[in-house]
Amino acid sequence: MKDDGSLSEPDKETLPLEDVGKLVELLAESGVGQIRVKQGDLEITVKAKTEVPPAGTPVEPFAAPVVAETVPEPGPAERNGGLHLVRSPVVGTFYRAPAPGEESYVEVGDHVGAGQTLCIVEAMKLMNEILADVSGEVVEVLVENSKGVEYDQPLFRIRPEG
Amino acid sequence: MISKILVANRGEVALRVVRACREIGIRSVAVYSTADADSLHRLLADEAICIGPPQATSSYLNIPAIISAAELSGADAIHPGYGFLAENARFAEICEACNIKFLGPTSSVIARMGDKASARRVAAAAGVPVTPGSDGLCRNAAEVKRVGVEVGYPLVIKASAGGGGKGMRVVDSEGEVNAAYVSASREAGAAFGDGSVYVERYMSELRHVEVQVLADGRGRMAIFPERDCSVQRRYQKLVEESPAPDLPEAAREGMKDAAAALVDSLGYEGAGTVEFVYSGGEFYFIEMNTRLQVEHPVTEVVTGVDLVAEQISVASGEGLSVAGNVPSRGHGMEFRINAEDPRRNFLPQTGPVEFYNPPGGPGVRVDSHLYAGFKIVPYYDSLLAKLIVHAQTRDAALRRGARALDEFAVAGLETTLPLHLAILEDEDFRRGGVPTTFLAERELKNDGRGLPRLAAIDRPSA
Repeated sequence: MKDDGSLSEPDKETLPLEDVGKLVELLAESGVGQIRVKQGDLEITVKAKTEVPPAGTPVEPFAAPVVAETVPEPGPAERNGGLHLVRSPVVGTFYRAPAPGEESYVEVGDHVGAGQTLCIVEAMKLMNEILADVSGEVVEVLVENSKGVEYDQPLFRIRPEG
Repeated sequence: MISKILVANRGEVALRVVRACREIGIRSVAVYSTADADSLHRLLADEAICIGPPQATSSYLNIPAIISAAELSGADAIHPGYGFLAENARFAEICEACNIKFLGPTSSVIARMGDKASARRVAAAAGVPVTPGSDGLCRNAAEVKRVGVEVGYPLVIKASAGGGGKGMRVVDSEGEVNAAYVSASREAGAAFGDGSVYVERYMSELRHVEVQVLADGRGRMAIFPERDCSVQRRYQKLVEESPAPDLPEAAREGMKDAAAALVDSLGYEGAGTVEFVYSGGEFYFIEMNTRLQVEHPVTEVVTGVDLVAEQISVASGEGLSVAGNVPSRGHGMEFRINAEDPRRNFLPQTGPVEFYNPPGGPGVRVDSHLYAGFKIVPYYDSLLAKLIVHAQTRDAALRRGARALDEFAVAGLETTLPLHLAILEDEDFRRGGVPTTFLAERELKNDGRGLPRLAAIDRPSA
């Protein structure tokens, strides 16, 4: 079973090809849209194909609407005041910035476009970028930086534009 | 040492593990899907983390989500329960790589026993009798025919990755081999993603008898009194009892010795069950389940050993509290109460439980995640509750079982409760030692007074 399991030791300098294959498997299994792994200077991003890629654009990372498919009934917060909730598609650790000490992806009051990165949820050392599924104004960040989040936990409140 | 256990399961078995943790003083973490937000395992565990949507592939089978939940909660061990990831060697290996103690044997032992054809070889090498059949896989119909010449017909073709009767075909003569081989392999491929099959001599009138074991991975082991699980429907067990009624002492001891030899040869750790078929004084190895079984409480009531607590103790490195052949006292019997309508071809039932009143009194145990108002969802298996009775003799256990089943009230959906009442009234069952075809040959009817009874199915004679 040696070659059917987990990733190689994380302290290796290079990321062997078979590990990239495992990343792809993991991506398919986890249902997230994008996985980024950093090991020293090496960084690898694996993105899932969206079901219907927008014409003319490269493969898009997974955006929150996919969650909306599995949770078809909006909760009360989604209806109240016309605010939109962005929920976590995975269990993991919530990070507002790409790396410690760097600027947050978004702040309250920022205008974001659909497809813009809002945060990272790290699961099993994999950085899952969570994207805005609507354009609008970030009204509230619901989770503190570096706290754990559950599947389906609300992360941001956005006031949609238009 | 283990300080916190994540329970990677749902329903009654998740509750069973949470309860064991509470008694031992180890913190428990439940994981649940959005469909199980109101489930007892979530509510009774010390912590709970939502891991995904209702579909099991995205939640209870979602390895990254479960490992993340373990890391977030700081759990240092995972109990997989039964089903879902309990016999997934890759999951066990990932736990090992993440320094999370998987409550069970090592991933390599799971892999060796998980593949049926490989398990047959391992068992045979340990001196355990295996059903006459192919040595490993059959790669084409011609190989099946070669086995047929050696061991004779009827044969049964089985999926190597299989279980639950999928990819299984009984072949009565050489002329049927080609078609059966193709359909068994195709079905196995569709169900398990692996079309490999092997073949064994088919035995009729057989009983399913199994031996529970516990081992500490360092050569110390406990062998428990056997369980008879012959009352099955489509390879799903419905009633289990211990000891097996009317079994010759030589077979009983032979099975326990064989189980001990196999466990010893594997360097096994944790709880496991070695399953045998028994027919006419002879027994053969079928498979080993490298996990806790649904019917483990039967063994618990006749021996007084808490199998889940022992699993945790072994995983903690504290070893076993029992060793050798564990003595049994009295007779234990378990009835699986499923959300299925036994009068309408076991149609699955969903919806809210309107009223729930489990039985009580002496010698009665109910393991269940039900409560009034709980909603049965269609995403998972149909097990609602396990009723386990214990009494001094089998006769007394039959009476106690009937009494407890009669008290057991579940309203709002049909269950297998009336089927169990009828089984307890069946003459052959009361005599003991029925074969695995017992239920297939009978159907549930009401007698003149409207009481549930089993009646022989009228088959048009050939």
